[in-house]
Amino acid sequence: MRRAAGGRMPESKLMTEGEAIERFVADGDSVYVGYTAAAYGLCQAIVRAGKRNLEAIGGSVGPQGTFLFLGGCANRVRSGYVASALRPGLVQDMMNDGSLKYEDYSNQGIALMLMAGALGVPFIPTRSFLGSDYLREEYQEHPGGFLDPGQKWAQMESPFDGQKFVALPALRPDVAVLHAQRADEQGNVQTWGHIGDARWAYWAAKKVIVSVEEIVPHEVIANDPGRTVVPGFRVAAVVHMPFGAHPSGCTGYYDFDYAFQAATMSRINRTREDWDAYAAEWIHGVADRAAYVRRIQELFGKDALEQLRVDRGPSPEPSVRYGHTAELRFRMPEGA
Amino acid sequence: MGEFADDYTLAELMCVVAAREFPREGVAMLGMGLPVLAGTMAKLSYAPEVALCTEVGAFDWRPKPGLTRAPIGIHDFNLNDGSVMVTDMVDALGTLLMGGNVDCGVLGAAQIDRYGNLNTLVMGDYRAPERRLGGTGGNTEIACLAKRVLTIMPQERRRFVERVDFNTSPGYIDGPGARMRAGLAAQGPNVVVSTFGVFRFDTPDGGETGSCEMVLEGVFPNMDPEIVKIETGWELAVADSVREVEPPTAEELALLRRLDPHHFYLVPGRY
Repeated sequence: MRRAAGGRMPESKLMTEGEAIERFVADGDSVYVGYTAAAYGLCQAIVRAGKRNLEAIGGSVGPQGTFLFLGGCANRVRSGYVASALRPGLVQDMMNDGSLKYEDYSNQGIALMLMAGALGVPFIPTRSFLGSDYLREEYQEHPGGFLDPGQKWAQMESPFDGQKFVALPALRPDVAVLHAQRADEQGNVQTWGHIGDARWAYWAAKKVIVSVEEIVPHEVIANDPGRTVVPGFRVAAVVHMPFGAHPSGCTGYYDFDYAFQAATMSRINRTREDWDAYAAEWIHGVADRAAYVRRIQELFGKDALEQLRVDRGPSPEPSVRYGHTAELRFRMPEGA
Repeated sequence: MGEFADDYTLAELMCVVAAREFPREGVAMLGMGLPVLAGTMAKLSYAPEVALCTEVGAFDWRPKPGLTRAPIGIHDFNLNDGSVMVTDMVDALGTLLMGGNVDCGVLGAAQIDRYGNLNTLVMGDYRAPERRLGGTGGNTEIACLAKRVLTIMPQERRRFVERVDFNTSPGYIDGPGARMRAGLAAQGPNVVVSTFGVFRFDTPDGGETGSCEMVLEGVFPNMDPEIVKIETGWELAVADSVREVEPPTAEELALLRRLDPHHFYLVPGRY
């Protein structure tokens, strides 16, 4: 590769999923998993690596969080919505029997808390939760929780106009695992499409591990910097992982695979046997995401995944233009 | 919209009526579940001008011609296609919603009570739950901060309760003045559409005065208000003259069914 003009080439952050998880996820970490930029492959790699005592974080925690709960990796969740708790099943049972502790917030709550963490301020005000039962005194200590009372939120009045608000503490997850469309080897990540709370997780987390559909030359990033969600200097590891969000989707690449979900995942939350069978085949039975993809092709046909490719359709403008005039026809007025 | 259909489920009529009740203009934020289906139908029929938005970050979604389905949940990529802006959750639930730009939130829930409070989190005592649910997602802030709320939920006595087990999402809380005492703005006129009828709230000013209670305003065809009362867990107020809601037209029903080809929303045989 060419060296960057006038300086050293930034180091490559490119590594395998196994190496990324081993180096940057420690037992006991709080881990942003979220919902929208769902890193299914990285979450499965966490299960494969046998990490323990993790906390799962997200405004909503999607089905990929189920892997961490049922895989014995996460025993705490800080979230506004846990997809796998929607219906009766193992995750609800874990929340009832204390093996999965929870602190209930909301989508806006967690998104703002991540933003506060990213901004480096200690708390952020919201007018959500006002008038709700979340704030009732008698619910602040509850058997399902894991935060010390007083650490979850506080009701306050604005020092300027007396308006009531709820102060939410800044949240800085130890690590975030995310999936995006593309990055260069330096970890400059580009993403597009609605993104939920993932945008602020990229900036709030102490370590960012991102899997991407494509590793692209740095010039591709530099040609359209408005699409970059986080610069490489904030990224710990970038993993090249085609279909890394499967069976959810990745904007512009492939759609959600409802048929695969129905065939393989619809029962994992029902009984331990169902979960064990899924994990044996789709997590422990494959070495990595590339092997997972090959396994799908073996079982469901060569073009099973290709059928999920989205129709990008004709684009009225092939690319966004940037640029500047190199020579300005301008002279600073005398005495300015 | 043409002739009435005669072969429909109450859940289908609920969605059709929600589309009829949908705001015709302004900004509407769609909660998870049936609001997405009803909102998509409204946009393609009664409310072409409304700006549909999601908490995930799709703003002013304009379904492209040839749309094959309502978005499956609020993460469907068909929400990226045709939106005028796609962004993140701080923009959606912060800038857009808390910033005062959402005219109507459209919500579902597990429970609702006489003051229109919703519960999305837990059945039973929070400290010793009978059953946890998925959780509130953005339901809480939409209920707190939208200028009005349209709620869509099937009617059953265990879901229409005197007092929600846990108020995740404030309506008029416990009566007149409560929203203001809590630090929230006035809200309304709020509307509830169930599988039995249409309800509004006795509050001329969004929570300051009136009883702030849910009032039965219209019933579905062949539905006796007395039956609605039986499937309501409190002494339900009934409007002086209850109108009979028109059944779905063949055209309305065809559009609704076209938008849910995989039965992600309306499972045949339920309700």
